[in-house]
Amino acid sequence: MIAILNYGLGNLRSVAGAVRKAGFEPVITSDPVILEQAEKLIIPGVGAFGDGMRNLRQLGLIDTLNRLVLEAGKPVLGICLGCQLMANDSVEFGHHQGLGWIDASVVKINAPGQRIPHVGWNNLSQLKQNLLFEGIPQDELFYYVHSFCIQCKNPDIVIGECEYGQRFSAAINAGSIYATQFHPEKSQRYGLKLLENFLTLA
Amino acid sequence: MPDMLKKRMITVLTFNDGVLFRTKDFCPDYRYTLSFVDAWSIDEIVILDVTRPGCGQKSNFYRIVSEFAERCFVPLAAGGGVRSIDDFKTLLGLGADKVIVNTAAVERPEFISQAARLFGAQCVVLSIDAKKNERGSYEVFTDFASKPSGLTPQDWARTAQALGTGEVFLTSITRDGSLEGYDNELNKTVAAAVDIPVLICGGAGKWQDFVDGFNEGMAQAVCTTNIYHFTEASIKSAKNYLKNSGIDVRTG
Repeated sequence: MIAILNYGLGNLRSVAGAVRKAGFEPVITSDPVILEQAEKLIIPGVGAFGDGMRNLRQLGLIDTLNRLVLEAGKPVLGICLGCQLMANDSVEFGHHQGLGWIDASVVKINAPGQRIPHVGWNNLSQLKQNLLFEGIPQDELFYYVHSFCIQCKNPDIVIGECEYGQRFSAAINAGSIYATQFHPEKSQRYGLKLLENFLTLA
Repeated sequence: MPDMLKKRMITVLTFNDGVLFRTKDFCPDYRYTLSFVDAWSIDEIVILDVTRPGCGQKSNFYRIVSEFAERCFVPLAAGGGVRSIDDFKTLLGLGADKVIVNTAAVERPEFISQAARLFGAQCVVLSIDAKKNERGSYEVFTDFASKPSGLTPQDWARTAQALGTGEVFLTSITRDGSLEGYDNELNKTVAAAVDIPVLICGGAGKWQDFVDGFNEGMAQAVCTTNIYHFTEASIKSAKNYLKNSGIDVRTG
C-alpha cells in the first residue's frame, strides 16, 4: 500500500491514478497510522510553500514525517511542491522554513526574457545513474509547472537537472528520499515509468 | 544539453451536458468516439463545459472531468461556467490541474487573485474570447462570446497577469470552428502584452496553421478543437510537421 499524503494541496487523484496504473494500491491520507503502515510515501503538492508548511504543521504531520522518513528510512517521493518542501527554506511569499530533509533552498526561477511560470515539457538531464531512471532515455521530457525552483547545496544528491534560464535541480536522491520538480503523474509514458521505478524499489 | 522548454500542442474538447459538442454549429459531434488511451502524444488537454445555464446537469460535466483525470496522464485544464472558489475546488478535487475562468473574472477581477492566492497561479488560466467589434478593433466578449465587455484583449490580459493569472487561453470568436487558421494579429498582440504563457485557439485546420500560430501568433501553445486532431496518428503527424518546420515540440 502506497500512501499519498493529503495536506490540502495538490492533485491527489492524478497521483493516485498513476500509482494504480503502475499496479500498486494507493491510499490518500493524512492519518499517521496509515502513513506508518504504508510501504512507501508520496508527497505531492501544487501551491505555495508557506501554505504547504502551514498545512503540515496544522495537521500535526511534521513529527510523524520526520520519524518515518529520517529515522525509519521509509522511502518517500516528493513531487513539485512536495519536493520543494523537503528543502531548508523558501523565499516564496516571504521567508519560510521547510522540512530540512535536503540541504537546499527554494528560490525564484531566474530566466530573463522567458515567461514565468515555467509551464510545459522540458528535458530531464540525468547526471547520475539511478534506479529512478531505469528504462528512461537521457534528456527525456517531463512536465514542469512552477515559478520557484530548488537549488541543492550538495551536488551529490542531485541526480537530474533541467534548464530554463538557469539550471536547477529537477531530480534528487538522498538515501531513501527521492524528489522531482516535474510531475511524473502528468508526464505520460515516461512519467509513469519513473513512478513505477520508485514504487518497485526494494 | 538540448534546447529547453518545448512549444505545446493542446487538444480542446467542448461538452454540452456531458456530450461532446462541435463548437461552431453547437451540435453533438458523433464523428468520433473518445478514446482515452489514444492520446500519448498530446501535451495537454482542455475540457470545457459549454452547457447553457439551466440546460443540463453540472454532474454530467464533472463525470467527464473525473474520467479524463483518471485515464489521461497528462495535464488537464477544465472550465466553463466557473464562478466561485467552490467551483475551483470542485474541479481541482475531481482531478483537473488547472481551472479556466472567463466571464466571472471580467465581472469580478479579484476572483483571479483570490484563486491564485489559494491554489497557486499555475492553477489559474484566464480564458479570453475576442473578435473585432463594429469599430474594427479587438474587444473581449463574455457570456458565451455574446456580450461586449469594453475591454481590449491585451489590456485585460495585462490586468489579469498582474492579478495572478498563470496563463492566458485566447480564442478568436470569428475563427472558432472555421478551419481558416488562427487570428494571429490578435494572438501576437496579446502575446506581446504579457510575460505569462499564451495558449491560442480558434481556427486550426491544417498543420501549417499550427506553425503560423507559433511563428506569427507568437504563442507558447497552440490549441485545437477539431476532433479529427485528437487521435494518436493525427497528433504525431502534426508534431512531425511542426518539427520539420523548425518548431521545437515534444515528439517520440
